[in-house]
Amino acid sequence: MLLPVRPSHLCSVPRDPRWFRLAGALLGALLILFIVGPLLRLLWEARPGALLAAAGDAEVRDSIALTVLCASAATALAVLLGVPVGYALARARFPGRGLVRGILDLPIVIPHPVAGIALLLFLGRHSPVGKGLAAIGLEIVSHVPGIVAAMLFVSAPLVVSGAREAFTSVDPKLERVARSLGDTAWQAFRRVTLPLSGRGILSGALLAWGRSVSEFGAIVILTYNPKVASILIYDRFTLYGLPAAVPAAGLLLLVALAVFGLLRLLEPTDRT
Amino acid sequence: MIRLEGLSLRVGGFRLDAVSLEIPTGGYGLVIGPTGSGKTSLLEAIAGHVEIERGRIWIEGRDVTRLRPELRHIGFVYQAYHLFPHHTVRANIAYGLKAVPAERRRVEELAALLGIEPLLDRGVRGLSGGEQQRVALARALAPRPKILLLDEPFAAVDPALRRVLRHELRLLREREGVTTLHVTHDVEDALRLGDVVAVLGEGRIMQVGPPEEVFRYPNSPFVAHFLGSGTVLKGLVRRAGEATGHPPRFPARFECGALTLDVIAEREGEAHAVIRPEDLLVSRAPFPDYPRNRFVGRVVRLERQGPVTHIQLEVQGEALLASVTTATAETLALRPSEEVTVALKATAIHLL
Repeated sequence: MLLPVRPSHLCSVPRDPRWFRLAGALLGALLILFIVGPLLRLLWEARPGALLAAAGDAEVRDSIALTVLCASAATALAVLLGVPVGYALARARFPGRGLVRGILDLPIVIPHPVAGIALLLFLGRHSPVGKGLAAIGLEIVSHVPGIVAAMLFVSAPLVVSGAREAFTSVDPKLERVARSLGDTAWQAFRRVTLPLSGRGILSGALLAWGRSVSEFGAIVILTYNPKVASILIYDRFTLYGLPAAVPAAGLLLLVALAVFGLLRLLEPTDRT
Repeated sequence: MIRLEGLSLRVGGFRLDAVSLEIPTGGYGLVIGPTGSGKTSLLEAIAGHVEIERGRIWIEGRDVTRLRPELRHIGFVYQAYHLFPHHTVRANIAYGLKAVPAERRRVEELAALLGIEPLLDRGVRGLSGGEQQRVALARALAPRPKILLLDEPFAAVDPALRRVLRHELRLLREREGVTTLHVTHDVEDALRLGDVVAVLGEGRIMQVGPPEEVFRYPNSPFVAHFLGSGTVLKGLVRRAGEATGHPPRFPARFECGALTLDVIAEREGEAHAVIRPEDLLVSRAPFPDYPRNRFVGRVVRLERQGPVTHIQLEVQGEALLASVTTATAETLALRPSEEVTVALKATAIHLL
């Protein structure tokens, strides 16, 4: 009599033990709950009516618009200044390369109020740089450019490292093939390297944008007024207490989630 | 025509020193060398992708040493093909062409020649090794380059397909008439494709010549070892007779440990003797017509490789390699540790 062969006899690849997978799932679920729980609690607390009222509040609306605009400007600047450096770090071997890389990662480890104070000293009205900028009509401290400067300082490393990783993943031999097929260095970059690294650069920029929207510590020192959303919310919390801060906080959360989600949708996903 | 004049460069851990080589227009040159001998760097230098320290590069009578890569009109095929992953097969082949109808026909023509028409509108992911190789070749040839550089183009495909591709490459090249420089570590590529073979080793070109000549008469132990020209013995040449002919050659004895061979030599002293496996005669009976280089040896190992069987022998303490047809090996019915008679002509021993 022939006995049926059970699939487990055919499958010789050992799988992780059941408890191992179960423990992993459990721990991961705890972390997700820890992140999603407070956010849902905030939105629940805010209630649709209060959120609408906050949206009708000109001060809240203006601060959110200011935050989004400044974050976008800071991200654009970070891309403009950071992508070429990211490319150089990925491709070129030059003396001091490690130092350059270290400097560009530095803002990540600096507490944000410390960054704010350093920026204030560097760009303030009494500093040479601040004087020079004021002479050409660019006021930094206590003005909108101060917000952008603070955001740029804390978020630029994300763009640089995102671009560096993205460019590193494109084999330089692809560029060489393009060059031999008649492309100039710039054409090869535009036709081959950029399309292949675009996704990585975009996610770096997205992280930088998110980092900028969420910035508080450096901005509060450089430009308290006009108020970005995070400062307005903190202001209302300290002056009027929790109930006054919740609707604006809920609204900022929704706006940030909407923009973040939208950009994530725009990202091509089939490259991996 | 490709002409390299004293090309020296240093890339990463290795260097090339004073490499000179010329391939006539329409010719097929092969540079063969072990892995890590700087073959890819040599091609990248010719294409203008790596800096050179000294020397000149000429393409069709023009000095291109300082020319930017895009102005050199070179078709380049890398070992791993490096197709553009964000483009279709068609867009890959058309990459170096302008978007005009005549150029579109060029894509179709090459695709037809290489039998990849059905793939034209597919992406390059999921193509087999052979398909990728054909696409890379078509892409390199599409803009009608003056020279074609091939970096181990068959290394990534299995041996059966390698033979097919080699044949295709030869037909395509003859049709396109493009001067080609091909680097490889595969001895078979060199024998089957090249008009000129250059052996690269220790950072320089060790020997250049027609393939048969280089295989038959390696000029150094390195070349002999690398090309698998047979057994290389190190020993001493002692004169045993009067020199005749031009250049003058004399009968001599080559002493290597306990083994003494009768040879025809040009000079005395330390030398290497190269013995090709097919020149060693192996028999169970003595060879009466070989009065001199005739020895009793012992079979160490037999290795059958298709129609040829290699026999590892031990003769007076030295390891020698012989090869006989597999049919002969079966007739002899040799077994390891059996004794056999081994003989070879003095003229078959190539002294270096």
